[in-house]
Amino acid sequence: MENARPLEGIRVANFGWVWAGPVLGQTLAFLGAEVYKIESRARIDMMRTLPPFDGGVRDPNRSLSNHACWASNGSVSLDLKKPEAVELALELVATCDVVAENFVPGVMEGFGLGYAKLCEVKPDIVMFSMPTAGLTGPLRDIRSYGLSLTGTTGLDSFVGYVDGPPIPMEQAFADPFNGLLGGFAVLAALRHRDRTGRGQHVDYSQQEAVMQLVGPAFMDYAMNGRSATPMGNRHPLAAAAPHGVFPCAGDDRWISIAVAEEGEWQGLVRAMDDPEWARAAEFVGLEQRVRNIGSLHERLAAWTLGFDDRALAERLQGEGVAAAPVMNVADLLEDPHYRARGTFIEVRHPLGFKETIYGAYVKTSRFEADVRPGPAIGQDNEHVFKELLGVSDARYRRLVDEKVIY
Amino acid sequence: MPDAALEGISVVELGQGVSAPYCARLFADYGADVVKVEAPESGDVTRCWGPFPGDVPHLEKSGLFHFLNTNKRGVTLDVAAAAGREILFRLLERADVLIENNLPMQMRDLGLDYAALEGVNRNLVVVSITPFGQTGPYSEWKGYDLNAFHLSGASHRYCGLPGQAPLEHGTFSADFYGAAAAATWGLAATMGRERVGGGQHVDVSCAEAIATTFVGAHNIGAYAQDGVYERRTGVGMRLSAPATILPCKDGHVWMLAIEPGQWKGLVEVIGNPEWARVEMFEDMFVRGQNADIIYPLLEEWTLQHDKLEIMERCQAAGCPATAVTTVEEAAEHPHLRERGYVLEVEHPELGRTLSLAPPFKLTGSPTAPPAPAPLLGQHNDDVYGDRLGMRDDALARLRADGIL
Repeated sequence: MENARPLEGIRVANFGWVWAGPVLGQTLAFLGAEVYKIESRARIDMMRTLPPFDGGVRDPNRSLSNHACWASNGSVSLDLKKPEAVELALELVATCDVVAENFVPGVMEGFGLGYAKLCEVKPDIVMFSMPTAGLTGPLRDIRSYGLSLTGTTGLDSFVGYVDGPPIPMEQAFADPFNGLLGGFAVLAALRHRDRTGRGQHVDYSQQEAVMQLVGPAFMDYAMNGRSATPMGNRHPLAAAAPHGVFPCAGDDRWISIAVAEEGEWQGLVRAMDDPEWARAAEFVGLEQRVRNIGSLHERLAAWTLGFDDRALAERLQGEGVAAAPVMNVADLLEDPHYRARGTFIEVRHPLGFKETIYGAYVKTSRFEADVRPGPAIGQDNEHVFKELLGVSDARYRRLVDEKVIY
Repeated sequence: MPDAALEGISVVELGQGVSAPYCARLFADYGADVVKVEAPESGDVTRCWGPFPGDVPHLEKSGLFHFLNTNKRGVTLDVAAAAGREILFRLLERADVLIENNLPMQMRDLGLDYAALEGVNRNLVVVSITPFGQTGPYSEWKGYDLNAFHLSGASHRYCGLPGQAPLEHGTFSADFYGAAAAATWGLAATMGRERVGGGQHVDVSCAEAIATTFVGAHNIGAYAQDGVYERRTGVGMRLSAPATILPCKDGHVWMLAIEPGQWKGLVEVIGNPEWARVEMFEDMFVRGQNADIIYPLLEEWTLQHDKLEIMERCQAAGCPATAVTTVEEAAEHPHLRERGYVLEVEHPELGRTLSLAPPFKLTGSPTAPPAPAPLLGQHNDDVYGDRLGMRDDALARLRADGIL
């Protein structure tokens, strides 16, 4: 496929950092936009410090996590504590369509890069701000990482085993979710600009975006005054049973099985060779199965225990039952399904080493996503400052010597 | 609203459950014209899922359906019948986007695979959101949110106690996640049609979207390089500490202090105890290796304090700890009320009901207050009559035949 990509011609200055900002920039870049992360050795992005490192060498240009999360973003390095760096940043913004950031409100203003200032150099700029809790309101100054952010939405209060305490999701699900959905917000604002000639400041509260996932439980509160509690893997609205994860043969192997329709239940019963317990009154009809889901799950777990997870999934699928293996990290790289879809790919980093990252996480039929390795710090400095902004060789050398470009 | 960002984009939704309806709702929230196509009589399955006021089932009173389908027009159509498919094609001839979440084999059986749809309208962007995707060995499998989430590696790696079942979030997180990815890529494909030379098929696998951007991000490079992988611990992020949920006097808190200033702030808040002043604990990674020691000590302190007090004091000290709020506490929080995020929507069957506003605010192109989700077939006359110009007698015949 040699086709143009949908966002070609769009340029983005990405002040985002850690994880949500990178995924936003990456998404726009996969779709064809030209995206530059603005960063600095003066304050290294925490993501660049995360192990493991390529070849085991601890270096901000070798973090494997960073390279996956930041893939396809470019990088220019500016120490924004220095006034001349801010001037250069504004010169870059003047050539951009979008500025993205995920700091606490006020930080961009502190740099001299607030929305009003950006409008002076680019009147129709789309500024995308993604603080924890939005640009207004009593919690606007709250700080969080994606991990603790979900605590404020109600979501964490119902993750866990039935009757047990909340169990933490051990990585920030909120960050990449907001990066993905943030892309939609940027595009909507760009479309509005294309039709009206007007830019805008997008107020993206990560809290509110993630709280959309609480919607089903929220509606039960709205209608019945109930607050959800940990529910294991049960259906969030008790509309299916069995609905859970069951042990299989081997080390930490499991299978997910979800049965919503009567035909699926019949398929499951056939797959189990029609055991007598499945004909008991307590399991006849969805309503009964939901009511007696605890004992239903116990019986099913006793049956699945001896099977290989994949073989059992195949067998259940053959009977029209929604079942799939529960994958571990190794499976992701080795599973035939993900291999067939080219989900993970090996790339060569600009510094010479090979590494494995994820590729286009959505497949498109008329263009190929622009997947490039994660950037080395400042890898696009010469292109951006000399070619785009016309900085002379002499000035460029001085800016590097003075650690303005740094 | 004439100035809404997505004004003028015409979307047809042929889906049920969570993923396609939520994706289409995002388009509708920001101004696109979305026509939701439901099966006659039964409609979208979420109409039967509830929650219902007083737990009394009613096709027009499902809270989830209401939440996922605001700002749309709704029609009924039997797309499995030839006459129904013909009408769907007429809707698609003049649409920009089709958002659907049927299994690939169902779409083929209905004569609605991408080749057929492209034949109807070469400029149509077809957004397909499925658990496993349009290609690959599992593309023929049946699956729900649960199956997709657990196929992504997210639960095995990150959620649950060792030796016990890996956990989903207690919501439809794979469906929501896939919908977010689909909305972004689908809108880009729509806006870029001139540049790329027409419509196209956008293939979203909910499992793959999470397996890559969430799980793969921090694990796949390491596994490919070193051949080892990690799994859930039940006690939070291992890389550093504190990074976990701890019990407190009146519930739970997310204790999180990673960067040096955050840890310093937390140590002050808990009164500079001797154990916390150990120099090696200034290193976030060393703290992570000693989480087993740190957590019980921290818990002694959290158990003596309320969650909101802990959150306030930590935040004031630059530490990003938060209260683990219940749904009620989140719903009643003044911040979300003041921002208009928790709001009331008037629905013909439900009356005034609390709901959640769209996920982000376009300050330069505000949206109208949400219109309630459509009743089953509510806009048949509008859409078939006004939009397609079908005559009353033709509509009556289709109704009698069970097509509408």
